[in-house]
Amino acid sequence: MVKQLTLVGMVALSANVSANTAINGNVQSRCIISTDTEGTFGNPNAYTLDTATTNGGELAVTRFDVTLADAYYAQVTAPSAFSSSPSLADVVTWTGDTVVKAVSDSTGMADYETNKIETGYTDKYDLTATGSTWFKTQSKAVMGGSKAFAGGSYTALVVAECIAQ
Amino acid sequence: MYRTVIALLFVGVVNAHEMTPTYPTWKDTHITGVVKTKMEMFNKRKDVDYYEIGVFDKDMKPIAFVSKYDIVKLTYLQHLKFDVYINNNDKSRARYICSKSKIKTDVKVRTAIASRICSKFK
Repeated sequence: MVKQLTLVGMVALSANVSANTAINGNVQSRCIISTDTEGTFGNPNAYTLDTATTNGGELAVTRFDVTLADAYYAQVTAPSAFSSSPSLADVVTWTGDTVVKAVSDSTGMADYETNKIETGYTDKYDLTATGSTWFKTQSKAVMGGSKAFAGGSYTALVVAECIAQ
Repeated sequence: MYRTVIALLFVGVVNAHEMTPTYPTWKDTHITGVVKTKMEMFNKRKDVDYYEIGVFDKDMKPIAFVSKYDIVKLTYLQHLKFDVYINNNDKSRARYICSKSKIKTDVKVRTAIASRICSKFK
C-alpha cells in the first residue's frame, strides 16, 4: 500500500513537471515554388506546337508561396528553345507569356498582374503580400517555312524563380 | 468529405522546392580569408533528384565558391543542410545564393518546370 502511494505520488509529480514544459518553435520566412501543372503542347497543325487549351494543349502552372511580404520577386520565363527534341528542320519562332491565374489574397495581390515587368520571355512580379500565387504560362512554337515538326518527343522548360529582394 | 479535403491539400504541395534562410549571413571560419554560410533545402518535387548551387553578384554573374558538391543529390522529401565557402575578398560582391532544379532529360511531359530560389546577402 505504501509502495502504491509512493508510485502514485511520483507519477503525479512527474505529470506536474511535464505540464510546465514549453514547446518552442521558430518559423523562418521562405519562398516555396510548387509545380502545379506541367504543361503539354497541342499540335493543331504540322508546324505548330501550342500549350493553349484551344489548340489541344495544357498551360504550365506554377505556384509561389511566400511567408513574408515584400521579401521576394517571382520571375517566370516562358521557353525560347527546346531542351530536348528530334532534329529541327528549320528555325523555330517562339512566343510565350505568363499571367496570374489565381491568388490567395484577392485584396493584397490584386495588382500583381498590372504591376508586372515584362522583359522578353520573362515576367517579373513583386510579391508584396504573404500567401499563394498561381501563374500560368503559355508557350507556342512555330516551325519556319511551315515545315512539319518531325515525330518524337519535344520538351521545353519554363523557368520559375523566386529571388529575395 | 475529409478525405477529399486532405487529398486536395496534399496535391497542392506535392511538387515543391524550398531553400532557407531568405537572408543568410557570412561567418568566419577557422581558415584565414575564407567565410562560410549555412543553407538548408527541402525537396518536395517528385520529378527532381538534383539541385545546382550557385553564388552570384548583383548582376547574377557567378562567383567562385566551394561546397561539398556544386550539384547536390536531394531525393523526394529529403532535407539537406550544406555549407558554402567563399573567399573573404568576394564577400562584398556576393549578393545571391541560389539553388536550381535539374530536370531529367527523360521527362515525358512536353513542358517541364525548372525552379530556382535565390536567397540574398544584405
